[in-house]
Parts: sequence; C-alpha cells; structure tokens
Amino acid sequence: MVKDMKTPLLIGALALAVLPALAQHKPIPADSIRTILLQEVAVTTKQHNHQQHLQEFHNASQVATTEELMARMPEVSFIRRGSYGMEPTIRAYSAGQVSLTLNGMRIQGACTDKMDPATIYIEPLNLQSIEVQTAGAGSMQGAAIGGSLDMKLAEANLADAPTLSGSMSSGYQSAANAILGGLKLNYATPTWGLRASGTYRKSQNYHNGNGEKVLYSQYEKANIALSGKYLLQDDLVLKADFIADDGWNIGFPALPMDVGEAKARIGSVSILRESEDRIWKRVEARIYANRIAHYMDDSARPDLPVRMDMPGLSRTSGFYLEGIASPATNHQLTLRVDASSSYLEASMTMYQEGQTPMYMLTWPNNRQLQSGVAAQYTLQAGAKTQLQINSRANISDFSVTSAEGRDQLQVFGYTETERQFFIPSVSLQASRMVYKKLKASLSAGFNGRTPTASELYGFYLFSQFDGYDYLGNPELKPEKSIQSEFTLSWQQPKVRVQATAYTSRVENYITGTYNPDLSAMTIGAKGVKVYENTDHALLTGAETSVIYNITAYTQLVSTLKYSYAQSSDGDPLPMISPLRNVTSLRKYFGDYLWVQAETEIAAAQNRTSERFMEQPTDGFMLWHLRAGYQKQTEKKVWQLNAGIENVFDVNYREHLDWGQITRPGRNLFVQLSMGF
Amino acid sequence: MWALSLITLFISGCDTSDDETPTPTITYHKIAEGSTLEADLKVEVYSTEELTTGYNPLYIKLYDPAGTQINQASINLVPMMEMADKKHASPVENPTSGQAVDGYYKGAVVFTMPSGEMGNWSLKVNIQANGKEASITLPLTIKEPAVSRLKSFVSATDGSKYFVALLQPAKPKVGVNDLEIAVYRAETMMSFPAVSNLAITVAPEMPTMSHGSPNNVNPVHTGAGHYLGKVNFTMTGLWYLHLYLYDGTGEAGKLYFEVNF
Ligand SMILES: [Cu+2]
Repeated sequence: MVKDMKTPLLIGALALAVLPALAQHKPIPADSIRTILLQEVAVTTKQHNHQQHLQEFHNASQVATTEELMARMPEVSFIRRGSYGMEPTIRAYSAGQVSLTLNGMRIQGACTDKMDPATIYIEPLNLQSIEVQTAGAGSMQGAAIGGSLDMKLAEANLADAPTLSGSMSSGYQSAANAILGGLKLNYATPTWGLRASGTYRKSQNYHNGNGEKVLYSQYEKANIALSGKYLLQDDLVLKADFIADDGWNIGFPALPMDVGEAKARIGSVSILRESEDRIWKRVEARIYANRIAHYMDDSARPDLPVRMDMPGLSRTSGFYLEGIASPATNHQLTLRVDASSSYLEASMTMYQEGQTPMYMLTWPNNRQLQSGVAAQYTLQAGAKTQLQINSRANISDFSVTSAEGRDQLQVFGYTETERQFFIPSVSLQASRMVYKKLKASLSAGFNGRTPTASELYGFYLFSQFDGYDYLGNPELKPEKSIQSEFTLSWQQPKVRVQATAYTSRVENYITGTYNPDLSAMTIGAKGVKVYENTDHALLTGAETSVIYNITAYTQLVSTLKYSYAQSSDGDPLPMISPLRNVTSLRKYFGDYLWVQAETEIAAAQNRTSERFMEQPTDGFMLWHLRAGYQKQTEKKVWQLNAGIENVFDVNYREHLDWGQITRPGRNLFVQLSMGF
Repeated sequence: MWALSLITLFISGCDTSDDETPTPTITYHKIAEGSTLEADLKVEVYSTEELTTGYNPLYIKLYDPAGTQINQASINLVPMMEMADKKHASPVENPTSGQAVDGYYKGAVVFTMPSGEMGNWSLKVNIQANGKEASITLPLTIKEPAVSRLKSFVSATDGSKYFVALLQPAKPKVGVNDLEIAVYRAETMMSFPAVSNLAITVAPEMPTMSHGSPNNVNPVHTGAGHYLGKVNFTMTGLWYLHLYLYDGTGEAGKLYFEVNF
C-alpha cells in the first residue's frame, strides 16, 4: 500500500483508510490488470487480496479496534463476553480449533476463560494486515481444523534519505464515553529504520439500545509497539519487534468476574533474505518469546458469599524458518519448519470471611511442545489452471510439570498426564478460469488439531455459557476433520464477487459431557461436564462478498454468510452465527470527502444447542453512517472521521454474545488525526 | 524431534524444576524419662509431635544401669487419667515386637481428653527385660489440638461408646490423600478394645461451598482397629470428613472430622 502513496509523508494513522480508495480512482492500465490477475491465480494470494480489499474498506472507522475490523470479514465471527477480549472464530470453529498467530508467532492465552485472545495485543495502528486462510492452506501456520488467522505487524521503513514521519490521532465514542489516543513515529534511513507506536483507550460502561448502562463493560488499555529494521546486505534484513500491551479494569458483563490486569510482552528477532535471482526467493527465520499474565477477580462485583482471584500465566518461545522457492517456471514451493514450547499455569483462590483461603490449580502447571514441518507446492498448469498441495506433519507433547498438578489430576484417576500427538494434514486445491474472468476453485483435504490445555487438564473451569464446571480429560484423542471447499470468483477492477461453500466433518469432536456422578465446585453451577470425544460433528456453510465500484466515486461492498452445524445426534452446535449480511455504500465527493451508509442485518438464530441449553436470538437490522474528510497541507495530512453507529438505537445482541447482554445503542464517534 | 529437543533446551533455562520432593526426616522429641525402682532401668519416652487428644505414636528407649541400650524387651503401656472422682484409661497399642527398631519400641496411645483442671494423665510403662520385670509411671501433658482428631459416639445399635481417631491425612494436600482411622469401643473404664467389624463410608464436604469431592475410597479394616481408605480434596480450605459407621445390624453412628489446610 505504501507504494501507492503519492508522497511518503502520507503515513498518517488514517492514511490507510482513504488511500486505497484514492488509488482506485486512477484508471488502471491494461498491464496492471494482468499483473493483478497473475497474482490472483495464485489462490492463496487471491484470497488475501479479496480480504485485503474488505479490510481496507472497513478500516475507515479508525476508532475501531482490531476485533471490529476483523468482524467485517465474512469468515470471522466473535464470541463476545464483554466489550473487550472477544474470541475470534473462523466460520463455526472456535479458538482451540483455529490457529491464531501474530507474525507467525504462537501466543497462548493465560486466561482459563478465554478472555485474552491474541487479537487484543494488536492495535489498528500497528496492524499491517490480517490473513485468514480457511481451507488446507491454513496448515502452513499450525495444526488446526478451522483454518488460520495470522496478523501481520506494521514494520519500520527504509528511505533514500533520513526521514522522520508520524501521526497523532485521538478519538471519542459516545455510547461508552470512550476516548482513544494514538501516536506513531517512523524514522527511516537508507540502512535502518525504527518505528514506534502507542495507543491508549479508555472506555466506560456503555449504554445499550434501551438507554440502560451495561455494568462491568468498561476497560482501559495501553499498547506500545516498537519495531526496528537493519539492512545487513542488499538483500538481507535484520528485524526486531516488541509489543507491550497492558489492560486493566476490564469488565466482562457476561461473566461473574472481571480482569484487574492483563499484561502481554511479545518480542521477536527475525532475519529475511529476499532476492529474485536465487532459487530460494524469500527466506525468513524468526525466533520469538512472549509472556502473558492475566489476573481475574470479582472485587468489583457486589454481595458475593465468596471472593475469587484467578491469576494465569503463559510463557511461549519458539522459532520458525520459512522459505519460498521457484524450482521451475510456474512452480512454487513454500517450506516451513516451526517449533515452540508453551508453559501454562492458572490458579484460583477463594476467600470467605474468617476461613482458610481455598486454593486450587485451575490449569495444573503444564507444558506444550510442538513442532511441525509444512510444505505448499503450487503448479501453474497452463494459462488457466492451477494446482496446489498443502501439507503439514505436526508433533506435539503435552505434560503436567508439577507434582502439585499431577496430584490434582489423580483425584480423577489420571496417573499418566503426558500425551503425544502426531497430526498429519494434506489438502489439494485446483483452480481454473472457467469462463472469462470467472474462476472456480475446489479444495479437499484432511487435518486435525490437538486438544487444548483446558480440554486436557482443566480443573473445575466454570463456564458461564451453560453454567457447568468443566473438567479436562488427559485421555482425549485429537480432533480430525475432512473438509472440502468450493469457491467461485469473478474478479474485475469494477466488480469483485466471491462465493464460497464449505463443508467439513469433524471426527472425535471434543465437547463437554455431563457427568452426574460429580458435584459442582462453583457455587451456583448446575453440575460438572467432562471433555470427551464425541462421535462426529458436521459443519457447513457459505459466504459471499461483493465489491462493486459502481462509478469511480461510488463503491458498494456487501458480505453475506451462513453456517450450519450439528453434532452426530442431530443437535445443533452452539455459538453458530445466523444468516448475516453487511452492506456498505460509499460515495466520494471529490478526492477528500467520503460518506458511507451501512446496514447490518442478522436473521434470528433458532437452531440452538439443546445440550448447552442455548437461548435463541432475535434477528435485527442496524444502520450506520460514516464519513471521512482529508485535508492535505504542504507538510501535514489532516484526517477527520466521524459517524453514527446503530443510528436507530436498536437494542440487540448477536447470537455469539454471551449472557443475554445487549450491545451498544446509538454511538456517535469522531476521530481526528494529523500525519506528518 | 530435533526441533522439540532444541526448543526444550532453549526453554529449560527459565524453567525451575518443581518436581523435587524433599525426603522427610523424623525428629524424635523426648517427652518424659525416669528410672525404674526395681531394676534401675532408664526409660525414655519420645514422640514426633506434641501429644494431643487423639492417636499419638509413642517411642520408648530403654537403658540398663550401665547405660547400655536394651534392644530386646516386652513393653506394655497403661495410660491413666486421674480425675477428682474417678480415673480411667484409654485405648492403647503396645509395641508389637519385642525387638527395638533403631533403638525404639513403637507403640501408641489414644488420649481421650486433654490434661487440665479436669485431671492429669500419666503413662505407666511395664517392662520385661533381661529376665526381670519393672515398671515406671511418668506424668504426661496432653493438649487439645486446634482441630479435633478424636470423636466419640454412642452406638445406635449396641449402646456402647465408641472412640474414632483420625490418623491420616496428617498433612493434607489437594489431590489424593491416604485416609486412616482407628476405632475403639469403651468396654469398661479400663478396657478399650479395637473394633474390627465395621463398614465405613467416607464423604468429604466443603461446608462453605457445599460441594464434595469425587472418587473417594471407603476405609476398610486392616488390623488392630485401623481402617484404610482414600480421601480426595479438590482445593485447600476447610473440609468436613463425614464418616458413616455400620455394624452387622445397621448404622451405628456418624460423625465428621474437620480438615483445614
Ligand atoms: Cu480471564
């Protein structure tokens, strides 16, 4: 995107929002169409391109969080327990089934209640792109059955002459009385560059569509990202990056507890060689380490018979080595080797006046080693056909590392806690231009995933979703999936349409099974469920998206998705989004002002899980209005974004929102930024 | 696998091993000593813990007048509580072997009440050694523990008074714990035979949260009135160890011990 910019001074925080749109105004020469097409024939990049268009489009509201940006991608949904820390799902696959990485790095959440997905550590200010890979292509990143979601961090730049650039931004949202401040600095020289960015957010309890204040929905956070780049040789770059993300006073209205403090420290060093004339055109090696600390407590909640503290800690380190080679014309090979080790521990202490504190390990100290070898081979067979094979062999080793932890699991007769898993995955994809610019892709394959630490070793983890305490089961088998996906796409600068249908069958589907012999630990819990492999589950669905440049100054973007999932006994799976459509119409008035009207429609979800006693959700329709204005002076770029979300103050909730908590009502937002 | 091992090395630097279990060392505290009148034997009584109401292992050392330790002797213990109006003994386990182990003859006494204004405890040690008989009576101080480890009940089936002592868990932990209790019947004020014919069920409960724990093993008789089982604690804190005792005719009694850790 940076290449598209008219001047390198334009690296303002909001430049991303408008520049792609501005760039589209330029008539695209015939040559570049072919270039785009060539890129698009490589199916994975094609998918990214389409996603990128959506991302760029929706980046418009810069007050947005990374989560809100992702929620606009038709493949992605979020399980919401509060305003912050939403858990991303791809199609109907939840966190444990999806590989979620940051620059290819694994980050394990430190929360037993999944309040800290890695997506919260990235701010739009330091996000370069998000790659969602759904079919077997996801296996490059890790052993997963639901695809992969990788967030790419913005990097430092190099420049011909020493250059300092940056941006300052600040924003406000009325529904939660939220403020945002951001600062970015970029210093570039011919041989090295440094980038630093910081974001601060403070959000109060928001008001829903009934004008009621939703208690415990506040949060506050600060994020600092540093990245450096050093040119070792013409084609060899050394990079280092570090993120510190601190959140505090984070409310979770749908849960009985809040987060007092959440700290993440994420760092990596990488080396990259890119040269067109070598067989290995791109080789990257990265070593990384991260530490996540998470402190949950219920100190803000009134009148509780027992007070709880639930701290958790996760430490991960690892490396990967990835190379892209062109063994011959029209052949491309990507190889990746990765390994990581993670240590998790979490405990709970309950306090009652005059009593000995009650302490237990909710995640008995455990370690996960994993390593994998992945390969992707792409063959351009003639002008119209492309074949691709993706494969991965993954081994992992889980074990409980403390005597204390093993003692706890012995209560359930589990004397052996160490588990090894071997997970192979293979997928094949064939794409063909079937008619003019209409392309069809078909992929099929199998893959698998290991159980999570909670599923293996969790000790009375209370789930507010169904009201049961959950127990891990160290004897679980990995989930295996066979899946197939069919995509039709029509790609033209004026119209881009993509429609995908997918289906998968998950064997050994892991879910909690009620055990009437066990008594609940949590006060008020209905009972105890133990994670078990069930026969199988079926997940299927479809997505379409359209980007239609009606005129050079008018753009329509619309996405539609539907998922259908059920277990082998015919019970619908829980947390499945209903039919959903988001349509935006944006009009530019000249090159500097745009206005956008948007509707968000969700059908009711009445296919609910009986096993989880899931409640149905009503359908809703929302209207949003957004506008952006940019003013360029000689040295500065000023940008103003403003709008009204949920214009008609609808009181609604998404089906994936826990606890019948409704979302924010009418929300006015405004953001001003200055880039230099 | 090479990658796994590499990473393991890479990580192990910052991971402190928490797998080490220290080997327990037993320290014996001398709680009483004296010399017998008859054969001038020196008697020393040791214990590993402070003596409290409940089951207390006692370790006896014997020396001849020359100060040489006697490792071959038959020992008989008679605890006695002297009260204002009466006196009574308590359940006792005499050393089973005439051979000292590491110099100690191990027995046990179940003190049924603490020393205090109500009365005082003494321990009479009867000795048969080197073909001679001797005895000595030593005063003992028994304290009431913070959490009671001895309960009694009057049987609903035979009307007798029973004493139930909790031996294990002595150091409770979250996880699986050995459960050991000993049961005695008060036949007379001086005789407390071990009871071996009970069926016992155990049910732990956390009273502040009103939940139990799974997979406990009911204690079964192993000898000398001792019953062994398993009890599981899922967290630290205050637990009630409910015991239900049945004899051939039905439920004889029920009681609970508090376990607080
Ligand atoms: Cu949490």
